[in-house]
Order: sequence, then structure tokens, then C-alpha cells
Amino acid sequence: MTVIPAVQTHALGKRYGSRWALRDCSLAIASGSVTALVGPNGAGKTTLLHLLIGLSEPSAGEVRVLGWSPREQPQVVLPRVGFVAQEHPLYRGFSLAEMLKVGRKLNPHWDEGLAHDRLARLDIPLGQKVHRLSSGQQAQVALTLALAKRPELLVLDEPVAALDPLARREFLQSLMEAVAEGGLTVLLSSHIVSELERVCDHLVILAAGGVRLAGSIEQILASHRLLVGPRVDPDGVAREHQKHAVIQESHTERQTTLLVRLNGAGVDVRWRSDDVGLEEVVLAYLGQQSMRRTEPERDLTEVAS
Amino acid sequence: MIWLTWRQQRTETLIAILVLALVTAVLVPTGLHIASVYDHDGIGGCLAHPTGTCTERLDAFAGRWDSLSSLTGWFNLLPGLIGALLAAPLVLELERGTFRLAWTQSITRRRWLTTRLALLVGAAVAFALLLTLLMSWWRHPLDAVDGRFQNGFDFEGLVPTAYTLFAAAVVLAFGVVLRRTAAAIGLGFVAFFALRIGIEGWVRQHYVAPIHKTWTGGELPGRILISPADALLRTAWVLNRGTGFSAMQGHRPDPSIVESCIKNASTRGFERTCLAQHHITEYAYAVYQPASRFWLFQVIETGIFVVLSLALLGFAIYWIRRRVS
Repeated sequence: MTVIPAVQTHALGKRYGSRWALRDCSLAIASGSVTALVGPNGAGKTTLLHLLIGLSEPSAGEVRVLGWSPREQPQVVLPRVGFVAQEHPLYRGFSLAEMLKVGRKLNPHWDEGLAHDRLARLDIPLGQKVHRLSSGQQAQVALTLALAKRPELLVLDEPVAALDPLARREFLQSLMEAVAEGGLTVLLSSHIVSELERVCDHLVILAAGGVRLAGSIEQILASHRLLVGPRVDPDGVAREHQKHAVIQESHTERQTTLLVRLNGAGVDVRWRSDDVGLEEVVLAYLGQQSMRRTEPERDLTEVAS
Repeated sequence: MIWLTWRQQRTETLIAILVLALVTAVLVPTGLHIASVYDHDGIGGCLAHPTGTCTERLDAFAGRWDSLSSLTGWFNLLPGLIGALLAAPLVLELERGTFRLAWTQSITRRRWLTTRLALLVGAAVAFALLLTLLMSWWRHPLDAVDGRFQNGFDFEGLVPTAYTLFAAAVVLAFGVVLRRTAAAIGLGFVAFFALRIGIEGWVRQHYVAPIHKTWTGGELPGRILISPADALLRTAWVLNRGTGFSAMQGHRPDPSIVESCIKNASTRGFERTCLAQHHITEYAYAVYQPASRFWLFQVIETGIFVVLSLALLGFAIYWIRRRVS
């Protein structure tokens, strides 16, 4: 495999007027990985993906996709990247056959067979008009168009946000099938964490325009623990913070629960150390962000209780 | 990309063709009728060799089509309509977010934009030229009598094409910023007609300073014989005309004398004799743009609209390339 990361950004930033939608974002996405980009709405996920795909131009920093600049070398980057935009836009008045013709006309490596096979498997007839399809089917068609480009990198912006649970499952299923065929790096954004674990092996948490956590899911789960013990005062928490990064704390009358990222130091025996689920980790990081944005002290207890 | 552009613009193009077909259905029969009356009444011969009854015949011929001719005022809407119609698919693409689909295929945004705009401008020019040809043919007999400067200026020559381009460009410029097709067309129409009416009503007449001219005595227009002034003003764009009376050395005459002369004289001849006894002369004046300036004015007005269109298109291109994502 090539050593060039599929995506690499350095101090990447995008400003709209005086507001930074994304700031100082440094990130590498390994070739062959399936990465989930999670974060609340407005965290800068779409901004980041648009920068990667060359839809928008960075205000600061640098971005390389498969080693090239998407804005300066679009003719090199575009044929190698598949993109499904938010709400998977398609030409509403077109028939599916016409949608495929769009793909065929505009892409040099277009795989007509793959597109036909996928649509046949999904049981979507080619004569059907796009606006008559369900939104789950439209998402599948958008994915088909992106895959038939035969991309090296597939970027999906909130692909399942608008789908009902069944369509969501089916969509992720067919994404997994495509990944299983190999040779594809996937980056997908989502504000829904559940079900991503089945599909993705890497995770990037984005909040308030910056990267909060990035790594393989395996690694993330191994390095985060839930510490439960007798109630400690803020000083106690601060002491604990010197050993591990305390991401989230919550207190009851008698008990304190800390979600920490281990930094190699051992866990004190007075804590019971539990495994933690991916969703909890993500929520903890996102909660940490919302605390920082407002008055820290009071929100701390409010969020925690 | 050409196929995709055509496919996206197909409905709007067909509507534009339909509009043009309707216009043709109105213009061809009436145009044939006008032409046949022109031949039947010998208007052409009358224009070539003016004789005694010619003025009346020409007036009768021109007057006969007044209501029909004023109906064509509605055709001023057509360049705006066609321009907006052709620009709409591009704005719709921004409104619906499908540009993100188009721009993430393997072709560059520059190529996408070039193709879309080239076909948009091409279609706008083609429709406008067809409309111009049609209107010029229809107005031909009327133009022969009354000239085309006064009533035909907006429909003939180069300006309809420039208007159409401008309408498309202004809708597009609003569209790229607002990304709302209905709002862009609405605002575009307002801007289009504000500029059209503003220029036609207040600016056009000043492209070149109009000619002020005064006639007295036998040169007075409106005699039974066609005077040189009549032929001149018939085909000119007359901004202002009228008659008046002047006393010796350009002083204003005593109104009561003029009144009594007009009241008491039984014919125009006696009236003039009466006035002459009081050293008062009747004169006619006109402020006008002569027919010979038609093309100059066409070029100037086309220039204004084309320059504005290019500026708006440039703005839209900048916005699409830099600000839309």
C-alpha cells in the first residue's frame, strides 16, 4: 500500500466573514481506513468535507487529498474521489437511466456494470424518475453514482441523517459491501454515533470548528475508562486530572464517576475501572465542548447530573 | 456536459419555443394582412412619388394599425421573459444543491461553468435574433411609412438581443447570491424593467443632442402637399413638436390679436393674411432625433446593456467560483 495518507490537512481553517467554521484542523486519514467524522450540527463537519472535495477554498492551512490539492489540481483529484453531499442531491426530474448517463458522460473511469448491478440488487428500475424514489432509495442512488466513479476515496456527508432506521441500516450495509470489495478509503460524517461502530474503524471527533479526538476506534476504546469511586471534591478531580485527562465527571451524594483518557499512568485502586462504549466517549467529548463554551463551573454539574 | 446542460435546460427551452410559436401565430397572419393592405393601397408608390392625396393615405394606413401596433408593446416583456427562463435552470441547480453533485464529478468547475454559460448565452442570442427577425418582418410596412425609430426601436436591430442577455444575466446574478429561483426571477424582472423604462424614458434621447428646428411659411408641416419637414419628421423620433406665433424680432405677439385673427378668418389663407398685417408669423417647431441616427442609437443602447450584462455575468462567475460551496 502507498504511504501517502488518503487525506492530510495541516492547520486547515475556513472562515465565513469573521466566523471560523473550521480552525487549525490537522488530520491524517490512513489509506484503506473507514473513518467516521462525528460532531454536533455546526461543528464544521460539512466545511471540512467541502474543503477536502474542493467545493470550497481554505482560508488558512493546507489540504492534500491522495497527495494533491483539491482546489489547485481538481482535474487530478476529482476523478479519484467519490462524494455524496448532504441530503444526497440528485436531478429530480431525471430518470435513473439519465442519472447514470450523467455519471457516464462526466467521469472517465465510470463503471456502468457496477452501477447497473447495484441498482438491480436494490430493485430500483432504471426507468423510474428520481423524485418518485423514497429518500432511502435516493441515498442509495447517490451512493451508486459515487461508487461507479471507481474512486479511491469516498466522502459521504451525513449520508444517513435523513433516513429512517431501516433505510439507514440498509445504506450502511451496502456501504460495507462496497468497502469489503477493497481498495476504498471512506470518510463519512454523522451526528448519529450508533451503528457507525459496525462500519467504521477510525473516528474523528469534531466540535466547535476543531478536532477533539482522532484515532482508531480500537485504540480509543482501549484508552478510555470509566472510573467509579467514592465521592471526591474538585481538588480530588484535579489531582486525578494530573494523571489522566478527565473528559467528563459526574457526582452523586456518595459517588463520583470520571470518564478519563489514560495517559499511561496506572489507575488508583480506589477507583473501579470500567470499559466504556464508543457512544459514551463521543458524548463525553461533545459535552466537554459545550461546557467550555459557557460558564464552566455551573454547567459542569448541570451536564453531569 | 453539453448533454447534461441540454437535459437541464430542456423544459425551459421548450417553453421559450412555445412562447415564440405563439408570437409567430399572432404575427404571421397579421403581418401578411398589413403587407397586403400596403400593396393594395399603393403605399409604396405613394412614398416614392408623393402626390396630393398621399398624406391622407399614409395617415390612414398608419392609423389603421394603431391598436394592433400598440398591442405589440407587450412584446417588450419577451426579452425579459426568455432571458429569465433560460437563466432559471442554473439558479435552480444552486437552490436544490445539485451543483454539489455536478462539481464532484470528474470535470472541473471551470468547465462546468463555461459550458453552462456558453449554452445559456447561445440560446438567449438565438431566441432574441429569431424574435427580432420576426418583428422586423412584421413591422416592415409600418416602418416604411413611419420609420422605425419611434415605435420599432425596441424590437428591431441589436437591442432585443442585448435586452435578453441582460435579463438572463441579472436573474443569474441575483440567483447566485440568493440561491432562490423565484426570488431571483422576481428581483431580476424588477431590475430589468426599471432599467429598460429608465433608459427608454430618460436616457435614450440624450445619446446625441437632439435637433431643434423651426419652420415658417411654406415649409410648415401639415400642408396638403408633403413638405420636406413632413417626410423628415415622419421617420424621425420626435421628442417634441408644436406650432406657435411670433411677432417682430422674436417678441411674443399680443394674444388678443392672434385670437381675433383666428376667430374671424374663414380660411387658413385669410388667417395668415390677417396675422401678417400685424407682423405676426406662424411657425412650427420640432425637437427630434433624425432617422439617420437609428443605428448609432442602437449601437449605443446595445453597448450599455451588453456592458452591464458582462459585468453581471462576471460577478456571477466570480461568485460561483469563489463563494459557492
